[in-house]
Formats: sequence, C-alpha cells, structure tokens
Amino acid sequence: MEDFEEFEYQPKSVKEIFIEMKNIVELMVDLAYSAVLFNDKEIAEEVLDLEERMDLLNYHLMTHAVLAARNPKEAEQITSVLQMANSIEDISNAAGDLAKMVLEGLELHPVITEAILESEEIIAKIQVSPDSVIVGKTLGELALASNTGVWIIAVRRGKRWIIAPDGDFKIKPGDVLIGRGTHTSVEHLKEIARGVIRVVGDERA
Amino acid sequence: MKELEEIRNCLIEMKNLSSLMVDLAFSAVMYNSEDIADEVYILEEKMDELTLRVKKLALRAAKHEENPEKLLSVIEMATINEQISDSAYEVADLVLRDVEPHPIIRKIMHDVDEEIGRIKVNKGSILIGKPLKQLKLPTKVGVRLIAIKRGGRYIYNPSKDETIEEGDVLIAVGSGIDRLRELSNERGEEGELIEEE
Repeated sequence: MEDFEEFEYQPKSVKEIFIEMKNIVELMVDLAYSAVLFNDKEIAEEVLDLEERMDLLNYHLMTHAVLAARNPKEAEQITSVLQMANSIEDISNAAGDLAKMVLEGLELHPVITEAILESEEIIAKIQVSPDSVIVGKTLGELALASNTGVWIIAVRRGKRWIIAPDGDFKIKPGDVLIGRGTHTSVEHLKEIARGVIRVVGDERA
Repeated sequence: MKELEEIRNCLIEMKNLSSLMVDLAFSAVMYNSEDIADEVYILEEKMDELTLRVKKLALRAAKHEENPEKLLSVIEMATINEQISDSAYEVADLVLRDVEPHPIIRKIMHDVDEEIGRIKVNKGSILIGKPLKQLKLPTKVGVRLIAIKRGGRYIYNPSKDETIEEGDVLIAVGSGIDRLRELSNERGEEGELIEEE
C-alpha cells in the first residue's frame, strides 16, 4: 500500500493557491450537500478535512498578501485581498456547518432529502471495479464529460484526494470517482464503472 | 402539504444557486469581470428572498407537524445557504470596489486569451432551437457554458440536451467569447447593443 501524505503538494504562486481554493470550495459545497442527501457521515468528514486544507491555503494567501505590502497605499489595497480571503474562508466554514448537521445527528426533515434528489444535478460516488473498461485509461482519453455527461470533480484513491484531476489522470481499479451530473448520466457511468456496460460513449472499448 | 412542497422547490433552487454563485464569484475575480460580479449580486438578492421564504414556510409547516422540531433542520439549511451566498458575494465584490487591485490580485487574474462573459441570444441567432450537443461550443467556438439564464431561472452546468432559446443569457468562459457574441446576434440587426433588463 502506497503511503501518501494527505496533501504533499505545496502551491507556490498566488494564482495556484487561488485556483486550488476555488476547486476545493466548489468541491466542499458539493460534498456537503451530498453528505446531507445521503446522510453520510463519511462524506461529511471529508468536508471537514477539506476545510482544514482550506485554512492552510488561506494562511498561505494571507501570508503572500501581507508580504506584498510595501507602503501605506499598498497596505490599503492589500486589505481588500485579506477581506476576500476572509470571505472565502466563510464559504468553506458554511460548507463545514452543513456537514456538521450530519455529524451531529441533527434530525433531518425528509423534505431536505427530497429536494436534493430532485435537483437537476447530483453528486455521486462512483466506485471503479477492476473489470471496468475505464481502468487504465486517462480522463483525457475517456472524455467522460462529453461521452457520459458526468464531470469528475475529484477522485479518492486510498486515503488520498485528487481534486479536479486533469486529462492525464489515469484511472486505477478501486478509485472512487466523485462525479457531478444528472441522475441518468450518473447511473450510466456507474454501470460502466462496475463493468456492466462495456462501451463509453460512441467509442467501442 | 402545500408548504412542504414549496419548501422542497425552494431548497432545490437554493442548492443550485449556491453552487453557481461560488463558481461565478471566483470566476469574477479570476477574469476581472464586473459583469459577472453584477450577476453574483443579482443571485445574492434572489438567495436572500428564498431564504426568508423558506424560513416563513418552515414555521407555517411546523404547525401541522407532529414533531415540529424536525423543521429546525430546514431553517438551519436555509441559514447556511444564505451564508454561502453572502460570502460568495463578498468575494465577487472585490472586482466592484473602486480601489485599484493590488498587483497580487492581478497575478490571480487569468491570462488575456480567455475571458468570461454574459451574452444575450437575440432573435435571428443561429443558436436558437439547437441542442448543445449539436452546437459543440467547446470545440467549435472555444467556449464552455457555465450557465444559461432563462427568464429569472438559471440552468447551471447545462446538459447536452439543453436547447438554446431566444432571450437566453449565456454565461460562458473561454477564448471564443467574441465569436459567441456574433453567433448570438447580441448586437441585433441594426448593430445596436440591446439592453439587458
């Protein structure tokens, strides 16, 4: 078993930090809703893990910002950056609060589950079986978004999270894909991942 | 019960809007787009209305529930939704402030070859009536649709089967925004910019 650091990647530039924050916050909001929908404590825990990651990124962003102020005028400009960082943290905390509703066992009214199941898009965990035709292929080759209508927003591999995987990302058996799409498209991809459907899109596998 | 039905519809809309808002708020900063920041502001106001409505409905519904405390979860969820929306707006607000952005923010902003835009689809546009899977906008025009705004409704991450209608506002990102504006007949026939409501 490979032993990965939870997050081994240290972003360098402000832009990288910001883009990673965008991806994580979007993922957090999505996962937080899924946690409530499936009343799933495991997903809720993931949201809280990501919240910690966000705190770290926020700290990096603020450090960059503070270091960049060289005079009073710049200091004034920097305050807006800090305010923004603060607001981003608020979004992540709110997603965390949503997850805590599940972890703290607040009794959910059935109308909540109904609402999320009916929304246009759902988030689902898709487990990849060794028999599936997508094993060993890259996301670029598979073009799942256009072929199946499901966006892969993150992948859980063992204990490690890969957020916003790119086209070179190769799928391995046992991966858990976190996908966003309509009910039908998600169910379709699940069948592919289970190895029941042997074709992705029009392409013969 | 009528209230629960309405709560359900509101929650569906709030969930969709909050994901859209977060996406647009960050995009407004990355693409330095006041236009998109304005859209986030419109969404924020909508979200406030929805939150209040859900809370009122939950209180009313509680009267008929055997265990009224269950509705606390609905109120809690509405409150969290509102927090997400308020904070998302504050992120986008960075672009709307008069303060000249610090170079550090410029570093965040995207390379010039990509931009984000709101584009109105006018009468006569060849996009009208065509499903997205036929238009293949990402490959043929070089834009990705984040959302379609139709009347007061937003379709976030529109599916391939979605068909473009006259009057739609497309929120799109990519290198082909100008091309998309032409295809949408945004300027109308006389070459005048048609005002968005």
